[in-house]
Amino acid sequence: MKATRQKKFYGVLLAPTLIFLGIFLLLPLIQLLILSFQQVDNFFEVIDGYTFSHYIEVLTTPVYLKTIWQTLFVAVITTVICLVLAYPAAYLLVRSPKRWRAFFYILLVSPLLTSVVIRTFAWIILLAQNGLVNDVLMKTSIIDEPLDMLWNMNAVIIAYVQVMLPFAVLPIATAMSDIKGNLRSASMILGSNRISTFFRVTLPLTIPGMISGAMIVFSLAAGSYITPLLVGGRMQPLLPLSIYQQIMQVYNLPLAAAMAFTLMVLVFLVIAVLGYILKKWEVRVNG
Amino acid sequence: MSGIKLEGISLDYGNHLALKEVELEIKQGEFFSLLGPSGCGKSTLLNIIAGFLGQTTGVVYIGDQDVTNIPPYKRNLGMVFQNYALFPHLSVRDNVAYGLKNKKMSKQDIKQKVDESLALVQLESYATRMPHQLSGGQQQRVAIARALAIEPSVLLLDEPLSNLDAKLRKEMQFELRRIQKSVGITTVLVTHDQEEALSLSDRIGILGDGVLQQVGESLEVYRRHANRFVAEFIGQVNIFDAVLSEGTVYETTAGFKLEAEHHESGKQPNHIRFMLRPERIFVEQHVSGVDTANRVKAVVKESSYIGNAIRIRTEAGGIELAVHAPDPMFPVLPAPGQELVLSWNKEDIIYLEVLDHESN
Repeated sequence: MKATRQKKFYGVLLAPTLIFLGIFLLLPLIQLLILSFQQVDNFFEVIDGYTFSHYIEVLTTPVYLKTIWQTLFVAVITTVICLVLAYPAAYLLVRSPKRWRAFFYILLVSPLLTSVVIRTFAWIILLAQNGLVNDVLMKTSIIDEPLDMLWNMNAVIIAYVQVMLPFAVLPIATAMSDIKGNLRSASMILGSNRISTFFRVTLPLTIPGMISGAMIVFSLAAGSYITPLLVGGRMQPLLPLSIYQQIMQVYNLPLAAAMAFTLMVLVFLVIAVLGYILKKWEVRVNG
Repeated sequence: MSGIKLEGISLDYGNHLALKEVELEIKQGEFFSLLGPSGCGKSTLLNIIAGFLGQTTGVVYIGDQDVTNIPPYKRNLGMVFQNYALFPHLSVRDNVAYGLKNKKMSKQDIKQKVDESLALVQLESYATRMPHQLSGGQQQRVAIARALAIEPSVLLLDEPLSNLDAKLRKEMQFELRRIQKSVGITTVLVTHDQEEALSLSDRIGILGDGVLQQVGESLEVYRRHANRFVAEFIGQVNIFDAVLSEGTVYETTAGFKLEAEHHESGKQPNHIRFMLRPERIFVEQHVSGVDTANRVKAVVKESSYIGNAIRIRTEAGGIELAVHAPDPMFPVLPAPGQELVLSWNKEDIIYLEVLDHESN
């Protein structure tokens, strides 16, 4: 009896969030889904009748296929770089003395405290032909000609990594601090040195943290458009940019909706696979 | 297999001295317990032997080798931890094989050694399980198998049984002793449980405030205490001061008389601090003849059941006496205010400290 009352109470607590999400997320998504199947005339005006043609266009046109491939590729690269860089940072966070930890946490999340536009413009100043990095390299005679660092995919990845790194560090740090201290001791007394202990104990036990981090970074990197627009330029073959173009320049809303849904399904698939692995791992380790 | 020798081990944390000049020699094949209250430095000492902590001064020998500058992963020790410390992502088999894989053994040899080790702790059929599928006692057995699989020179046990319930702890104590005997390995057990230490060990070292207070065989430590710290730590005790009246008869501050055995010095000290264990006191409910030594009338202040015995707090002439009486003696708990006669044998009166220097 008590349990059911408690469940009802939880329901009441959840209601505001569910109502909000229902109105401002679910309804627009349904509208978008309907839109993606609507027919258009030659001027891309929506007319009566439904069709699969937008999805067929997205999934068969070579340029869009290349875009989809590039989008996923950039997201994967960003995720991998973030995970690799996140590891030492997470280690520092977990192992640093308590009074330093708060400072490191603030330092870590500081990129999230600035607006995306300001942050991205900072990268333009740093990476441009006459920007800070080229300036320093030229003046110190390391290079003779300025490097092309802006308006390409590398710039996009650099900017992505900067802002998404905290999302990889935090779950890894959590997983790391959950490892009981005497597991490392047990490993050492059994003859593993620090490096071997890292690969045989610490690394496997932080897999859940890495998967959680990868899920967040991957979905953010696959879906961003302001950052690639500003540091990569609007011609970069990335699906969010194509969607932006269809809406703002071509005005083909149903095609944009079809692209948006294609992107969403792809990201969902990747996350579902990662989630499945995570679940498998946790059942194995924790039962 | 080898013994352990500690020479002048001190650990200075700057603001406090965790260990002071510990000298200890543990013989090959011996089961040695480090006993003491929490914070006494016993785990610290174990961690120094293991190599996880470095001593400020002193030398640790394992066998004939000075291991002071050898890291833990090169000391070839077996260690069992309080909360088992099994690797949760590895199966029982892989846990036991963990240390063997560091030894560049062939797959076939590793498999054989794992099977042997699991057989030793009677868990052969659990090899493919994950640690979370095992009970606490089973996990502890795996931890023991894992520690012994690498054929360590010494086995270190850090409060290995303290997470188990009372019944299982008893079983595991028995099991530990059996395994230790069959392997014949030098073993150091850290525990705060004196019963565990007394029943398992060949010898016991009692640590208090970072100082090794007494080292001796189990029975010796129980019977003859080096000092008050040891006496109070080893079980609940009654302690009282008394003055020599004649022969070996002393009179306590409460007025009752004690007759002890002759003092080991050959000359009876005038002023002495005695110790008497609660379980060594006999209880009579019929009050009679309390004029002789080692017999006293006492009033019950409080009583309670402790499993198979009754714990009675009594008072005799202003001195509190704790008594443990076997359960069947009392059909009902003795009520506060009830008068009892307490008596004991003179060999159970233990000389704790000579107070002569204080009295003159």
